[in-house]
Amino acid sequence: MSKLIVDELITQTANRLFSEICSHEAIQNAETVGEAPEIWAAYTETGFPWISIDENLGGSGGTLLDALEVLRLVGYYAVPVPAAETGILGGWLLSEAGFQVPEGIVTVLPDQGPDLAIKVDGSQVSITGSAIRVPWARSAEIIAILFHDNGNNYVASVQASDCAITPMTNMAGEPRDTVRFDGVVCSYAEVSKAIDSQSFRFRGALSRVALMAGAIEKMSQMTVSYTNDRVQFGRPVARFQAVQQHLVWAAQDAALSRMAAESAAIEATRGNGAFEIASAKLIANQAASRATKACHQAHGAMGMTQEYPLHHYSRRLWSWRKEYGGDAEWSQWIGQLAVAQGADGLYPLITGGSRVL
Amino acid sequence: MRFNPTELSSSELALQTEVRQFLKTELAPGTHEPCLGMAARKDKSFSMKMAERGWVGMALPKAWGGSDRTAVDRFIVVEEMLRWGAPVGHHWVADRQTGSVILKFGTDEQRKRFLPAICRGELGFSIGMSEPDSGSDLASVSTRAERATGGWLINGTKIWTSGAHENDWFVCLLRTSAMEDGNKHAGLSQILIDLQSDGLEISPIPFLDGSHHFNEVTFNDVFVPDENVVGDVGMGWHQNTTEMAYERGGPDRWLSPFSTIEQLLREAKDTPLEQSVQSLFGELIARYWGIRNLSLSVARLIDSGEAPSIESSLVKEMGTRFEQEVIEKLVQLIELEYSPDSHSLFERMLSQCIVTFPGNTIRGGTIEILRSVAAKGLQGLPV
Repeated sequence: MSKLIVDELITQTANRLFSEICSHEAIQNAETVGEAPEIWAAYTETGFPWISIDENLGGSGGTLLDALEVLRLVGYYAVPVPAAETGILGGWLLSEAGFQVPEGIVTVLPDQGPDLAIKVDGSQVSITGSAIRVPWARSAEIIAILFHDNGNNYVASVQASDCAITPMTNMAGEPRDTVRFDGVVCSYAEVSKAIDSQSFRFRGALSRVALMAGAIEKMSQMTVSYTNDRVQFGRPVARFQAVQQHLVWAAQDAALSRMAAESAAIEATRGNGAFEIASAKLIANQAASRATKACHQAHGAMGMTQEYPLHHYSRRLWSWRKEYGGDAEWSQWIGQLAVAQGADGLYPLITGGSRVL
Repeated sequence: MRFNPTELSSSELALQTEVRQFLKTELAPGTHEPCLGMAARKDKSFSMKMAERGWVGMALPKAWGGSDRTAVDRFIVVEEMLRWGAPVGHHWVADRQTGSVILKFGTDEQRKRFLPAICRGELGFSIGMSEPDSGSDLASVSTRAERATGGWLINGTKIWTSGAHENDWFVCLLRTSAMEDGNKHAGLSQILIDLQSDGLEISPIPFLDGSHHFNEVTFNDVFVPDENVVGDVGMGWHQNTTEMAYERGGPDRWLSPFSTIEQLLREAKDTPLEQSVQSLFGELIARYWGIRNLSLSVARLIDSGEAPSIESSLVKEMGTRFEQEVIEKLVQLIELEYSPDSHSLFERMLSQCIVTFPGNTIRGGTIEILRSVAAKGLQGLPV
């Protein structure tokens, strides 16, 4: 069994680095420019993007749990880089297929719809069609594409420079580009049967859960601090019970989503964790909705400005809430599973999770 | 504030299995009318059966009749009992808080007198905090205990006293010296009172549906001997605050509607559930998983010697609101005109939840008070 405790050095290093490189202005600038090469360079120097990827394939080693701890802190500091895409999503697909991970940015296609035709032709594939909401495609070196053919699963490794890329963004101004493939030819390799579109979706959700837990915690702390400093009617507004309600609700959602993210991370590192990931994503989605509302309300008009950094977190949360499955998708998935356990199996599912399935 | 994820060890999982087996035998599903969480029926013989297994007062030391088990072990027993809807009412208060208070602040004499009997499941306790003019502002209690030869004479009134008409003992927060200016927390003491005492009168305060849980207890020169004072005279506020921390954040603050949800599934077994109801199950199960992990981590913190008062206030505030949300969502989705007299157990349980759950965010400290405790903690102020 892999170790199920986060390496403390990772938390310390990430906290130190991110607090240095992710000032409010730096995050704002990344949004305006559409990428952040200096921040990406500092981020890669630590080897963070490739944690949990085999060292023989260009990775940094370490566990999925370690990689998710970095993602949690990427969310906490709103680090404007494709951390999940290069690492536990794209890097994972490439390394599972036996490809070396590149030095540059890797991205993936979050929603691979019917608009993409992938034809296997000997040792190569030819890809035609388009994909939307591809994170940081404009800055990527490789686009890793999971596909199925004749009952087997494969990963294609596409040079991003072979594609036509139209810059688009999500609500937080993070790059979510449209990518057009006009008969792009590239190499591909087989991956295990376990790596299919469903497991990819779960892994995507797991990445967002970690990011969201970090962002909600940061927002909650900012709100405690702001309401302590802001004086009205002769005292800090945090002394008013009506404001305290927002502080408490946001702190609860921060605690709940972090607990869910960390519990799901442990189970996923152990091997499966489908129930925990699904539950954690639904929890994070709903917590994001409640916590952004509470934190904005407690900040008053100040939180509605670009000048004050709350929006880096709230806008990311509104976007991430919908990435890799919204509330309806995950509540249906969990609901079906729960109901199938029958009345007697319902509580054992809550206490045992994936391990009793 | 920090909630660490924690998992059950193999011996803790074995305890969980043992409790489930016990419940399956004692209260086979479909053969008993489940209770709604801690507002459970009093069934002394059930309490004594649990006690035989060492599951009442289990975290108390063996020397006093307990089992030297951990807060996590107690969590496991309690969560299984509550989710099953077991009749834990008789020993509930003693097991959750009174035993710990007597262990922590009581004399050896008191420990010897009360703890073994608590651990045998024999004694039922009531709690005497609220008064007609002291609710959330608990420190303003005015029921007095005045010096008398060899003890104290008590005068005043306590209200909302659950189970006083059935229990044996009453742990009361009383004023033992006059309120000083600016320090209302001083001069309070905790005293154990026999509910059969002369001069003590118990009269029902009928619950909104007519049922009898609450009482008004009036004291007319009730004599209580010195040996019944718990801890130091004048230290009642501090002891009481410690006691409140024991009763926050546990499974009793989020499991009350669980047996109702389970019963819905039990009764629906041959009819496929609508998509919307299935999704509701998904949402509730996910939230239950998350809240349980938080609540379990509070128990683990207690075992590591910490006093997680902010954490437990946050969990209680969230858990009790969640209990109400669960019922509201069931009501929204299920097109039934449920009746408390229905032939359907689910309908009866749901009716009872609707009528009783507004109290869940009030009992043992309103959520408004909890928010102010938690908010002070978040700001780094003394709680």
